[in-house]
Amino acid sequence: MLKVEGLERSYATPDGLVHAVKGVSFEIPSGSFYTLLGPSGCGKTTTLRCVAGLEQPTAGRITIGGTVVAQPDNDIFVPAFKRDVGMVFQSYAIWPHMNVLENVSYPLVVRKPRPPKTEIKDRAMEALRLVGMDALANRSATKLSGGQQQRVAFARAIVRHPKVLLLDEPLSSLDAKLREQMRYELQELVARVAITTLYVTHDQSEALAMSDNVAVMSEGLISQAGAPRTVYDRPANEFVAGFLGGANFLAATVTEDDGGNGLAVFDGDAGSVRIALPAGIRKGDRVNIVFRPEDAALRFAAGNNGNQVHASVARLSFQGGLTECHLKVGDVLVRSMLHPSVEANVGVDAWIDLNPARCTVYPARETSRL
Amino acid sequence: MSQITLPTGAVARARIKKANSAEKRADIGWLGWSIIALGSAAALFFILGPLIMLLTTAFRGPQDLLPFEDGAQWTLANLAAVYLDKSLYTNVLPNTLIFTFGSVTVTFVIAFILAWLVERTDLPMRNGVYTIILFPLLVPGIVLSITWIFLLAPNTGWINVIIRSLFRLGETGPLNIFSMGGMILAQGIGLVPFVFLLLSSALRSMNPSLEEASNTAGASPFTTIRKVTLPVLLPGLLAPLILATLITLEQFETPLVIGFPARINVFSTRIFFELNPDTDLPAYGRAAAVALPFLICGIALLMVYNHLIRRAESFVTVTGKGFRPMRFPLGRWRIPAIAFVAVYALFGAVLPGFVLIWASLFGYALPTFDTLSTISFAGYTDLFNNPKFWLAARNTFIVAGASAIIVTSIGVILAWTILRTQLAMRWVLDFISFLSLGIPAVIAGLASMLLYLSLPIGIYGTVLMLVLAYSYRMAVSTRLTRAALMQVHAELEEASSVAGAQWFTTIRRVVLPLLTPSLVASFILLFIIGFREFTIPTILQSPDNSVLSVMMWQAFQAGKTTQAAAVGTMIVLFVIPIIFGLRRLVLARDGRD
Repeated sequence: MLKVEGLERSYATPDGLVHAVKGVSFEIPSGSFYTLLGPSGCGKTTTLRCVAGLEQPTAGRITIGGTVVAQPDNDIFVPAFKRDVGMVFQSYAIWPHMNVLENVSYPLVVRKPRPPKTEIKDRAMEALRLVGMDALANRSATKLSGGQQQRVAFARAIVRHPKVLLLDEPLSSLDAKLREQMRYELQELVARVAITTLYVTHDQSEALAMSDNVAVMSEGLISQAGAPRTVYDRPANEFVAGFLGGANFLAATVTEDDGGNGLAVFDGDAGSVRIALPAGIRKGDRVNIVFRPEDAALRFAAGNNGNQVHASVARLSFQGGLTECHLKVGDVLVRSMLHPSVEANVGVDAWIDLNPARCTVYPARETSRL
Repeated sequence: MSQITLPTGAVARARIKKANSAEKRADIGWLGWSIIALGSAAALFFILGPLIMLLTTAFRGPQDLLPFEDGAQWTLANLAAVYLDKSLYTNVLPNTLIFTFGSVTVTFVIAFILAWLVERTDLPMRNGVYTIILFPLLVPGIVLSITWIFLLAPNTGWINVIIRSLFRLGETGPLNIFSMGGMILAQGIGLVPFVFLLLSSALRSMNPSLEEASNTAGASPFTTIRKVTLPVLLPGLLAPLILATLITLEQFETPLVIGFPARINVFSTRIFFELNPDTDLPAYGRAAAVALPFLICGIALLMVYNHLIRRAESFVTVTGKGFRPMRFPLGRWRIPAIAFVAVYALFGAVLPGFVLIWASLFGYALPTFDTLSTISFAGYTDLFNNPKFWLAARNTFIVAGASAIIVTSIGVILAWTILRTQLAMRWVLDFISFLSLGIPAVIAGLASMLLYLSLPIGIYGTVLMLVLAYSYRMAVSTRLTRAALMQVHAELEEASSVAGAQWFTTIRRVVLPLLTPSLVASFILLFIIGFREFTIPTILQSPDNSVLSVMMWQAFQAGKTTQAAAVGTMIVLFVIPIIFGLRRLVLARDGRD
């Protein structure tokens, strides 16, 4: 339904050219939910705005429902108001001088030819019913809570049944508790309307929970795209691993290589792990072993498990449902999650049990991070 | 995936340029660009057209010819005639400087004390005081100047009569409004409300936590004022000072009404008398030559003002409402403070108003119980039976209203273009519209005279010419609308575009409704300025385009005191209900939300 090929967007600024998007390609099948995830400045919002028609790409091609809407090569650019898309903005952009019903009716009112009045009202009320705001149809837009504004913005985006629904960080302006609640609500709404959806966020839990497919973006490019579980479990590189959930990085050296099955010994002889080696890594190579905090099970007594790392507890942070434990492996900090009932003290020795199936090996680069 | 060629070199650059130009709005369309072009062209014409004529005229002669009349040629004779004349340096220049700095000092000292009392002390009835201080803003300067003559004319001025009868002095004096001191007093007090308005908002915009932080750091209240309050406020206080200097420098009413009888000439009146000599023909070239340094001074002051305002804005950390500034307890200064406010209110607002109404009913005589029986409404009945009054009233409404609509409309177009497009010329528009603030009204009048005398479109001497001449004041509306548009999140417009609305629909249904309060504010402000305007219609006057302020002056000059006072009263009576009506309209709208 939506196809983006080789999309580029550069800006001329006083400091020279800025390449916000450097060649992004993806395709969203009809009715599917696709998320662009990345830190601020990675080009995800620019990509979304190019799809909306609010910005002109400098290269590439965007196709919506079989129609090319932007291709600078052929001087094709369809402005936003002629594209069949609906969009929920980061600020919700609810017009304060109109009431709820007027806001939601607007996309039908300005459409040419304009449908009859009764049809406009029926369809707007239908959209409001869908988001559970029909009782507040005549309320002034300035008297809405954050959650209600989001519902109205959503109703307005879908009222004319667009081919593509664009969501630009719609949860980022809500406070933490409401954000979680609205996330579930948004998920259900999107499922109910079954419109092809492009979602932009910097929040990994939103991306993982809501999407059919996630693309992690960095510096204007897609680092990795795929189903949420695949991307989380098998990050293609250290950036993706670090950005999607907490990741621990430990430097190691491969000391044995038995036909792709190797032994990695952590620096400072802190321990080792027997692990499958990716192609291109062989005996003697420096590597980074990456594992998630929830996979770093702790023991406070020495054992003789082959896959373990020796550490000492550096900091304990009680957070209610769990205790976050910072450990020192040599000079490197590693995070682990403890059940709050586990007693531990700063300074004591600990051993991290590693499950090789949940560790990933990358060739080493100069530095590793927390 | 199909083949996509990647652009390189010049192709890429051109494409980026194209994408950038549409970066903010890709949907303006031919209608949008035509509106932007029209608005920009109008702004340039209204501001630059007259100025270019002025510059040209200064170098064209002989001086009794228009710059493009047959026989006119390039010459330096105008400049020589003006600048080799010693009286410029012994008379006009020192007078202008003394008048300007004297008046500004009076204005600033009074306005600062009042603003400080209202905003930063526990003065009682602060809201009422605020309203009283601002009231004279509605009264045209020409009316205020004339009421000073009623009060302080050497023979018949009320205050003089009272002093003489109290101390049994001679026939005239002791005070004389027709002097430099009188000019400074009248002008200085007249500008207080405007400067008070700017100063009080500067005082209000300071974040009180800056002072509280200083207090908790152990500084005494006095140290806090010295080390924190004043340095932070300084640019915000200096900016109104500069603006007051600019306005006083370009003053025409007071120098004409009070200075002329006293034979005290300043720059603005000198220009006027070059155009209206007693015997000769108008000397256009010489008038333009006098105007040049005057204009340069105005624009230089404006640049200083702009610099200060930017600094002041960068210091303002809190602009929202809901914080309370620390107020100094007045303690035993309470009585002197109240007395100060009362004396100002008496001379700044109450007495002028009272004198005006009294003179329209009883003539020039000092009010006593005996004169009460001589009340006469003849001033008004004569006025209402005079078709010239109704013509002037009609003209005043048309000129003030039409120019306010034109300037407000152009202001929206400029503000939107400056903020929402990437056009290279948007900075030019911004600069030119701001420049208009530094053009003295005398020069605007003179320059418009030259332009419309030279343009063969046959509008010289008409009401339409006044409308066009008034319409150069872009700065107010552009700045006001720009500030309001900055508060309108760009996503509100983008949401409309994504919803399927074309550019003009978005402007009509989203932008304009959201800007309405500031558009009405801009209209009211420009309407008041237009209604008060005296300088431009005096320079451009003809029998057909007389306005109320000019009619009042002419009646006063002809010795028809009662009629002049009646016209003055009518001006105030006309303008008040309009302003309150419009304000109510806006408030009613806001109440809906």
